[in-house]
Parts: sequence; structure tokens; C-alpha cells
Amino acid sequence: MINTKFKNWAIHQSIHHPKRTLTSALIITLIMGFGLQHFVIEDDMMKMIPKSVKTRVVWEEVKDEFGNTDLIFVAFGTEGKNLFQNKAMSDLWNFTKALEALPEVEEIRSLTNLDRMENEDGFLLIDDLVSTKNLSLEEIADIKDYLIRNPELKKQVISQNDDFFNIVVIPNGNTSEQASVVKIVATAEKLLSGYDLHFGGPPYLVGIVSNLVRADALFLVRIGLVMMVIILLASLRSVAGVFMVLSVIILSLIGMMGSMGWIRGLTGSDRFVFSIMNTSMPIILMTIANSDSVHFLTKFFKKLRITGDKEKAIEQSIDSLMLPIFLTSLTTAAAFLSLIFAPLEYMTGYGVSIAIGISWAWILSTTLLPSLIMLKDWPLNSRSIRKPGLLERIVDKFGSKIIKFPRSILIGGLLLVAVGIYGIRLVTTEVNMFSFFEKGNKIRDSLEFLDEKMLGAMDLEFLIKGDMKDPELLQQISQLQDYVEKNPSVSITISIADIIKRMHRTVMDDDPDYETVPDDRAKVNNLYTMYSMSGDPDDLTALVDYEYSKALVTAILKNVSTKSSVLFVNDIEHFVDQNFTQYKDITATGQLVVLRDMVELVIKSSVISICVSIVVITFIAAIFFKQLGWGIFAVIPLSAAVILNFGFMGILKIDLNHVTALLSSVIIGVGVDFAIHYISQYRRLARAKVPVATRSNRVIDEVGYPIILDALSNMAFGALLLSEFVPLQHMGGLMVFAMFSTSFGTLTILSSLLELTGRRKKVMKKLLGEQ
Amino acid sequence: MKKITILLITIISTSYPQDGMAIAKMVDERKAPQDIVSKTTMLLTNSKGKTRTSTILSKSINNSSKQILWFLNPADDKGVAFLKIEHVDKADEMRMWLPAFKKVRRISSSKKGDSFMGSDLSYEDMTSRALDENNYKRLENDMIDGKECFVLEVVPNAEIKSTYSKHITWVEKETLIAIKEESYDLGGSLRKKKKFFFDSISGYDVINEIFVEDIQKNHTTKLTMDDIKVDSDIDESLFQEKNLKRLPRN
Repeated sequence: MINTKFKNWAIHQSIHHPKRTLTSALIITLIMGFGLQHFVIEDDMMKMIPKSVKTRVVWEEVKDEFGNTDLIFVAFGTEGKNLFQNKAMSDLWNFTKALEALPEVEEIRSLTNLDRMENEDGFLLIDDLVSTKNLSLEEIADIKDYLIRNPELKKQVISQNDDFFNIVVIPNGNTSEQASVVKIVATAEKLLSGYDLHFGGPPYLVGIVSNLVRADALFLVRIGLVMMVIILLASLRSVAGVFMVLSVIILSLIGMMGSMGWIRGLTGSDRFVFSIMNTSMPIILMTIANSDSVHFLTKFFKKLRITGDKEKAIEQSIDSLMLPIFLTSLTTAAAFLSLIFAPLEYMTGYGVSIAIGISWAWILSTTLLPSLIMLKDWPLNSRSIRKPGLLERIVDKFGSKIIKFPRSILIGGLLLVAVGIYGIRLVTTEVNMFSFFEKGNKIRDSLEFLDEKMLGAMDLEFLIKGDMKDPELLQQISQLQDYVEKNPSVSITISIADIIKRMHRTVMDDDPDYETVPDDRAKVNNLYTMYSMSGDPDDLTALVDYEYSKALVTAILKNVSTKSSVLFVNDIEHFVDQNFTQYKDITATGQLVVLRDMVELVIKSSVISICVSIVVITFIAAIFFKQLGWGIFAVIPLSAAVILNFGFMGILKIDLNHVTALLSSVIIGVGVDFAIHYISQYRRLARAKVPVATRSNRVIDEVGYPIILDALSNMAFGALLLSEFVPLQHMGGLMVFAMFSTSFGTLTILSSLLELTGRRKKVMKKLLGEQ
Repeated sequence: MKKITILLITIISTSYPQDGMAIAKMVDERKAPQDIVSKTTMLLTNSKGKTRTSTILSKSINNSSKQILWFLNPADDKGVAFLKIEHVDKADEMRMWLPAFKKVRRISSSKKGDSFMGSDLSYEDMTSRALDENNYKRLENDMIDGKECFVLEVVPNAEIKSTYSKHITWVEKETLIAIKEESYDLGGSLRKKKKFFFDSISGYDVINEIFVEDIQKNHTTKLTMDDIKVDSDIDESLFQEKNLKRLPRN
């Protein structure tokens, strides 16, 4: 009833008020587009983790208590050239001062602002290690000598060969990583032009990736549009038709991105930021909006060829496509909305925004597109209308083959699915951003340099709660550091126990035997008090809290794979369980733990979105086709495509990560259209009592070509192959494959199944509700 | 006598407007006790509202150029003691008694900006300001809490390598006591706000409360002096290392 009313309204508006419809569509899109002013691009892995997950809770607590712990690493120097000379030291001084002056920077740790803690003739000296910009040779030699005597300090600030300085930048937590990175990189490039520069660390990656995401998304949209235009021109053979399809696509894109901006602006939710995951969104919406339009336009051409009357062709096209396009849009939107249930936070924004885009594309396809068609004169003798194209003719021939060998085709399809099931077992998860860049990429090269020459750029933190004046706890912290440092990836660990040990040695006349945690609580307390009298208490704020009840242990390590991080973090947690007997409140957090947690979240997100979307689509199709059986038929080719997709990922060693985890929703969301169109047409013909012998053939004749054209024009997904990011390249390749698997799955597995079911009259009657 | 002094100052300040240096001199020459003994409670509050409290017995002479401190509270710190002796021609001497180690350590903070005992007062804040090391410029008078004040802009000379670019000091006209000060960092941004409260003890105006707020760190320090005694004939020999080890009974 509602369907009929809306259908009649859409037909009336398109045929009688095309200009008004066009104007309204433009105004509404413009209003949606204004949301772009609130659009935020960001890519912070920690923010993908639900706020209730312990790693994130502890990370927030650490930030609140100890300030920003996310570190940016900057290394500069020249391979093989010793930096212990006046010019280099002076450059480091200037660079450090320039960074300190940036409002985007909270703190700098470099050689020029290290403290020297020494005992000289019973005199405890805590002073600047580098006191001036212009140093004499003796002063430089003295600094070098101090660093040699303190190797743990030395490796924090200079490479082993003394040819690269390491500067640790703590960005201001209130400024975006993008802004911080831009300023830091610009400062380095301005002041250190004669040196090789390398950058790393989580905030750097967040900042640089955010900038890359913006460039990548724009690039991919352009490439996608070009590819789509070429495919459409070749298939539709109508420039006007391609322009109309593009209009729907571009307005849908503006609607989707603008809505994302509005929601972010109105709610302030981090779920609605545009991250590396979202880079695929525009391409996906483009293909979906294209789908609707292609179906409509090909139907219109077919009807115009038959009736020779534009108005009648539009009316008949809306009449026959209103329900299937609505249904495909609804099911596709439902598949993407299933991402709301995924634990990865960014996926909610992805799902909701794309669902809005899909809905807007549906409205535009059924109102704006017919209006645009109405506004144009269509010469009946044009090639696009007069006769079917090459592809259409191939598909028609293909249809007759399926009808002849339904069992063989079904068995063949099932065998492929079996291969897919085998491959799923081989799927590995890799969420480390390092793997997102190809070898030879500037960012990856920098990260590899930091691993080889410096400390690395990954972090692992432990928040430890307990009495930080208790020697036993400090001793355990020290043991934990020793254990963590046994892992070859770990370069250094830093904790309050280190300071206590250094002070103990200094107080005991610099005797190395006393570089230990004192065994008496009163002694520990004396050391804390002495530090407050002689050093800057701010030095300790990153290590121990104000009330000496919480401490932070930080480990800096070289890049590790997700698999290794899972093993490492689990191993450390086991060590903590075994050894921390009195104080048990120890929680690991930081980048390494995020990798471990992400594995579970990515797998959960994939499984949840697959299950929810399949169940929801089954029910939606069942409701609209009024039989559960049709719902099951609708998801069979999709399920096969999802299995094949993950199977191929396993066989081809393509990693599952938070980007490729979206594939299942995209496959189901996009692929369901084919099944819906097929089932819709099959039911229509079955109800019209078209004989079983010719029914499948007629269905393929009607929808086979649009399905294949739809799938072909969706080859715009291939644009993702040109992405800067490896997972998006994988996603592009897999989506191209998925378009084949879902379209052919519909035209082979689904059509064979329906062909076989159609031959059983009783079952078909039940499905059609005729019994 | 006090009334006459106030009257004179008022007459001088209205009839012959002094420049900044003249006011600074008057403040510097203000009558001060020979020695002060007090029990000081130091309350530190960080940006999250967390606090640390210490109680310290302090004895000082010559406008705090020699000072000895014994920690009374918290229990963990009891017995820790600190001796500071300022010198004009060389670096200040600072010694600390660590009872758990039974050792006296000489400590140094050549960094003037370093915090004193974790508070918002730096060693530079704690040291008397020499008149010839700063430039004083008089600004327009102001009223603070109903008290009429001279306002001085104090700019440290470059050679003393201060950690501040300038201070704005409010000096109460009636008592010639600085009651408020704002200190600016080398970048010219406001770093600290200080407030001083006084009490009249044995004819002297003696500080009994200092409140310092580090604007940039969002951290505050409140020093409250109780049981203040002045001119109790403290012998200079008290300010020796050996006396750090013994917590006095009074």
C-alpha cells in the first residue's frame, strides 16, 4: 500500500514536475553538504577500541595521571659522520629550542635538555648536561664521557655509532596529531636541511596517516569516477545516461560525507571521524549509487525500445524497479548498519554514514534520475535504445547454458565454496600500521631506520598501583623491566625504579654496587625528598603520580608483528601473575597491547557484522517476499561469496585487519542487490505463470544484463588497488573478486537452485504463497 | 612612631613622586627582624586537586640569607633537614641530612628555576633580590583588597640570567610590603601569581602566609607560618652541618 502510494508519487513528480524534483534534490543535498564543515579526518588506533576495554581505560588513566605518553621520534644525522662536534650540537640545541617553542609540543627529550646527576666530592649535582649552545671541544668531550658512563641514557639520545641524534617529542594532548606533525616536520626540515631526517611513533603515524587518508580518498574518488565513466560509456553507449548516473553518484557522495560531518559536529562522537578505514567509503557508495542508477537506466532503455514512449517507459521502469531498488537499498543499508554491533568504534560511523548515503542514493535514483530522464529528449533511433549491446547479448546466451546444467553448475559452485572454507583456516590477522605501507614507502623506510639505528618507535606501558615507596614493589618493577628487556625487540625500559637506583648510587659516593633499590623504605623516601630539593620534580611526573601510589613503566621497542605482540604481551602478563604476589594491580597498555586487543576486536567485528547482516537481510527479504525461503535464497550467494573471500584471503596470505574486516559487510551489502533483483524477477514471472521451462531464461534475459553491468561498473572498486595503503589495495582486489563471485554466484548458484526448486511445483507454490 | 613613618611616606609619596628604584629602596630598607623561627605548613595542590602536606620547623637569620629547616611531617620525612647559606660572591651552599642513610649531602641547584622542595617557589623566588641586579619602573598606583599600592615593574638585568623576563609587584603604601606579585617567563607569558599576607609581630610586619599559583602548570602552593617568633637571638653557629642531624625540641 505504502509502496504503491510512494511509487505513484514518484512517477507523478518525475513525469509532471521534473524541474521541481531536480531543484529539491539539489537543495537537500546542499543542506546535507554543509555538514562537511564539521568533517574530521583522524586515524588513532586507540580510539577504535571501545571505551570499556581495559587497555583503553588504563590508557585514559595513564594520560590523565602522567600526561601525554604518546611519543614522536625524530632522528637526524648523516650516516657515518660523528655528531660530537660543535656544529651538530649547536643544530641540536636550536632544533630542541624551536620545538619547545611550538604550542603543539608539550615536552622534548633530547641530549641538550638531559640532566646530569653526579656525585662530585660528596656533592650531589643535578644540572643541565648541555648548558649552552656554543660548546668548547672540552665541554663536548665531557658530555660524551658522561654519556659513555651512562649507556642507558646515551642510547636514548644518540645512535650507537654517534651519527644520529634521537629526539623524543611529546605532543600537546590538546592539539590534533595532524597539526603537531605538520609543525614538527616543517621545523625539522627548516632547521636541519643538511641532515637525513627520520620520523616515527604512534602520534606521527596518526598525524601523517590522517594527511595521507585525505589525499588518498580524493585520489581514489577521482580514479573511481574515471573508471566508472569508461565502463558506463562502453556499456550504456549514452553520454547523457552516464551524466545522469554520475549526478546521482556525486549527490549521494555529498549527502553521505556531509551527514557524517553533521553527526560528528552535533554529537562530537569519535565514532564519526574519517579514518583509514573510511577511505573506502566513497568508492563503495559510488558503486552502490551506480548500481541503482544502472538498473533504472537499462530498464528504461529496454522499456523505451518496446513502448517507444518516454513517459510510459519511465512509468513502467519505476513500477517494476521501485520495490527491488528499495529492497536492495534497504538490505544494503542493513548490512552496513550491522557494523553498529562491531566492537571497533570507527565502524559505527562507517556503517551509519554509508547507510545514510545509500538511502539518499535510493531516493535520488527513484526521483532525480527519472526527472533527469524526463527532461531529455531520447531519439528512438539512437544505438543505445535501438538494439542491445554486446554484453547484453552475451549474458542472454549465458542464461540458456545455466538452464541446461543446473546440477553441474551448483556442484561446481559448492566445490569452490569448499576450497574457500579450507582457506579460511589460513587467515592471519595483522593490524600493525607498519604493514600498511609497502617496502620503499618513505614512512616505512623511516620506521625501519628507527628500528635499525635507534630505539624503535613502538611503546608498551605498565600502569602499576601500589606504594611506590615500598622497596619490595620498586624491586619488582625493576625485575619486570629486566624481564621485558630480555625480549630482543625491546630497546629500553624507563621507570621510577631507575631514578631511585641512580640516586642511590649517587648518594653512596657513586659506587656502582649501590645502583640498586635500597632495602629500607626510609631510604627510598629520603631519595624522593632529596630529588625534590635538588632536581625538578616535573622530571618525575611522567614516572610516578603525586601521591606515590601509581607508577608508569615505559618500554620502547622495535616494530613487532601482531602475532609476536600477542605472544609477548600474554607472556608478560603471565610473568606478572607469577611474580607480583603482593601488588597485583598491574595493567599493560600502549601500542603493543592495542595490537593484541585489535586482533580480537577485528575478528569479532568481522564475525558479528557477517552474522548480523545475514540474519537481518534474511528477515528483510523474507518479509518483503512473504516467505522465509526467499530470505534464505537471497543470502545463499552472499554467504558463498563471503566464504570465498575469506578463503582467498587465507590462500593468498592477505591479512585480516580493521580495513579488510569491512569486506564482509561490503560484499553482503553490495552483493545482496544481485540476489534481490533476481529473486524479485523470478517471483514476478512465477506468479505470472510463466512456464518453468522458460522462466529462468526469461529472468536472466531481464536481470542478467543489469546484474553483470552493475558488477562490471562496480569494477571501480579496482581504484582501491591504486591506494597508498596496502590493506586498501587488498580490499580493492578482493572487492573486484567479490563482484565476480556475487554476480556469478547469483547467476549460477542462485539461478540453479531456483531452477531446481521451480521444478518442484509444490515447493514453489508454497514459496509463492499459493498453497 | 609608626604613625609618623606612615605619615611621612604618604606625604613624600604624594608631594614628591618617587621613581621605581626609590620605592624599591624603601622596601629594601624596611625594618626587618634579626631572626625568625616558625612552624611552616606547606600545602601543595596539583592540577587534579591532589595534595601533599609537609610541616617544617624553620629558623633563619639576616632576612633568610641563612636558613635551616627540619621536616616534622609527614612521618616519612621526619628528620630530613636542610641548610641553606646564601653568598654574594659565590654559589649558595645547600646541605641536606638524610637520616636513613645517616649522611649529609651537599646539593646544588645551579638552575635557578628549579623548584624549592617541590613547591611553586623556585630557588630564585626564595633568594633576596639585589637592588642593583634589577631595573625598577614605577607603574600607575592600584588598589588591592582596599589597600592602596605602589605598582613596580621589576626587570632583571641580563647578566643575572634570571628565569623571568619581568615581575609586576604591588607594594602596600602603608607598610611598604609587597602583597602581590606576578612573574612572567622569558617568553613574556604570565608564569606565577603570588600573594603575601602579613601579621604584625613585635613591631615587625612578618609574612605569615604565602600563596603561589603556577599558571602554566596549574599547580598551587600555600605556605602557612605558625608559632612565629622574632628576634629570639639565634646564634649564627646554628647554621652548621652538624646541627642538621638533631631535631631541636623547640
